[in-house]
Amino acid sequence: MNMIVPLLSLAPNERGVVVDLMGGSNFRSRLYAMGLAPGAVVKVLGNYPRGPLIVEVSGTRIALGRGMAARVLVRKL
Amino acid sequence: MVMRVVALAGNPNVGKTTIFNDLTGMRQHVGNWPGVTVEKKEGVFEHKGERFLVVDLPGTYSLTAHSIDELVARNFLLNGNPDVVVNVVDATAVLRNLYLTMEIFEMGLKNIIIALNKVDLAEKKGIRIDPVKMSKALGVPVVPLNAKEGAGLDELKDKIWEMAHGKIKTNPVLPRYDPEVEREIEHISKCLEGTELAKRYPLRWLAIKLLQRDDEAMKLVLRHLGEDKLKEIMTHIGEAEARYGRAMDLIIASQKYEFIDGLTHEFMGHGKVKETLTDQLDKILVHPVYGFIVMAFVFYLVFKLVFTFGFPLQGILDDAFGRLGEWVAPHIANEALRGLVVDGIISGVGSVLSFFPLVFLLFLALSFLEDIGYMARVAVLMEGILRKFGLPGKAIIPLILGLGCNVPAVMATRTLDKEKDRLVAMFVNPFIPCSARLSVISFLVGTFFGGNALVALAIYLLAFAVALLSAKLVSRFVPGEESPFVIELPEFLLPSWKSLILHSWERSKEFVQKAGTVILVGSIIIWYLSNYPVPIGTGNSYAEKLGHLLEPYLRLMGLDWKAGVSLIFGIIAKENVISTYSILYGGLSGDALKEAMMSSMTPLQGFVLAVVTTLYIPCIATIGAIRAESNWKWALAVTVYMITVASIVGIFIWQVGTALGL
Repeated sequence: MNMIVPLLSLAPNERGVVVDLMGGSNFRSRLYAMGLAPGAVVKVLGNYPRGPLIVEVSGTRIALGRGMAARVLVRKL
Repeated sequence: MVMRVVALAGNPNVGKTTIFNDLTGMRQHVGNWPGVTVEKKEGVFEHKGERFLVVDLPGTYSLTAHSIDELVARNFLLNGNPDVVVNVVDATAVLRNLYLTMEIFEMGLKNIIIALNKVDLAEKKGIRIDPVKMSKALGVPVVPLNAKEGAGLDELKDKIWEMAHGKIKTNPVLPRYDPEVEREIEHISKCLEGTELAKRYPLRWLAIKLLQRDDEAMKLVLRHLGEDKLKEIMTHIGEAEARYGRAMDLIIASQKYEFIDGLTHEFMGHGKVKETLTDQLDKILVHPVYGFIVMAFVFYLVFKLVFTFGFPLQGILDDAFGRLGEWVAPHIANEALRGLVVDGIISGVGSVLSFFPLVFLLFLALSFLEDIGYMARVAVLMEGILRKFGLPGKAIIPLILGLGCNVPAVMATRTLDKEKDRLVAMFVNPFIPCSARLSVISFLVGTFFGGNALVALAIYLLAFAVALLSAKLVSRFVPGEESPFVIELPEFLLPSWKSLILHSWERSKEFVQKAGTVILVGSIIIWYLSNYPVPIGTGNSYAEKLGHLLEPYLRLMGLDWKAGVSLIFGIIAKENVISTYSILYGGLSGDALKEAMMSSMTPLQGFVLAVVTTLYIPCIATIGAIRAESNWKWALAVTVYMITVASIVGIFIWQVGTALGL
């Protein structure tokens, strides 16, 4: 069973495949350009309460606000 | 002969600036792109007897219409007619970097060279890239580089030269999408065929941009082909999206990555992925507890570097100009002219130049932190806290630097990515008490409160609170949407010193040029006020008359004309507030001055004076810096706002204090 969950809910070292981005076009285009397009494999590196989420995607590390991470849907691997 | 133009494009943090500096050396110029506050860097290099103009485009991840940086880069690629485009690609993150490359290819540009940077670092991470195969897969030349050591630079210059002379044939590979998407692209291209736009833009690019609902592309259609055509196209796209059940831009982006992923298999292999030093460091640096401890330490070091070296250098320059003034004075017979030259011009120029070491050291420290990759970590740490006040996480840096001097702090707002953030951050910065105000605060607290540190602390806390609340207020009125927070945490990498020094030098030079006039004019005005019609101390100088004029207003906060005069002189430099009191009390200083002030003012008045001095206006150099970083209007707005806030706070404290019988 592969559940579709918000990226924000992943714990450190958990991975998921991006399936959808729930936001406006500015939000979406910022994320694709950083490698977070549907199909990309994301690994959470750090998820501290209140701080931005730190993830690894296509060989780079990015930090994204918690509000944004809640709108990135992933299929948990 | 017209110089051939080379455009440098690439993601942020790929070493583009270092390559730019290695190519052009000192022959560069920093300015702004016309009409916007995006930094534009141009430089010249010579190869095989020919000169090339290199234009460093803003570092971007894509070429959408959503950010001004991306638009600037895109418009230059579309309309700037570069002879050669050098696309810098980070070998450690090829997949993401090629996303931008594909966007550039889709614009229909042919003369493209890929500069594959950080090859050594990629190897360390277990990534093997075959440049020959990569070149074959992409259809354009690939030059491997190690920007830090300058390796591969000559080959890059050779390739630029050859390409500019039409000696290299390229065939940039274009991303292929699913048949359905291709059909949409074709359909829209057909709609645009034979129109005005088809002559000026590659149709495939325009069609893809329209499918992504790109604002600028839509405006182009509206302007050239009218509303009906735009409606027709957008309706069609809407229908297509309804069939797919998701936005077209989402489909295009994910298929573009799929295509790139397929390409990379032809030239890239992965060994065992090892945990890098950066992975380990990041466990500490962005940690909500350890991260703050490290940050405090790093800021302490920056503070130390900038101010412990900067202030003595500033003093030396100040002294030098003082001596120059003394040396010049006897040679000018006319007394008024002598005053103007010595006290106005020489001391004005002196105070401008004396800021140079401070500003230079600041830029050196900040560029170092930026280039090494630490700044991104700071942004992550502080984002949650500062965003509540309408500021981005990185704004902590100017806020902290303001404690030393607001001039370099205002300059430091450059490190913020969004224009809106920069404007807000520089607006509130002058509230942060600089070291000059520390001297005033400690003198007054020493005089009226026996040096009670808690009183001084209260003033500092008040100033920070005013700054943050003002940020919250002002950010509502500055146009520009709040950008979603997403940033790259680049691999830690020691920067090239040459690049750092060049960069800091250019920035500091710009400061002197732009802020200089403001400081100079301010110095001359104050000199005039204090010497005409008679010198200050007699009660009849313009400065003193102005003080008396202000007195009825200052009375509201319990202050007299002496405070008025002192505050006027404080505009030049805040430490002048105390030295002016000294002049007004007939040259008393030290304990004698303290006693004199204590006998004519209550502690409450002393407190109000300290608070008002802290908040009332940016000093002339800070106004100059704000003007240099934004415009006249903004500098004026800050000034008016601060006077208003200081008045409100001053009147409030005095009225409440007296009502309470303090």
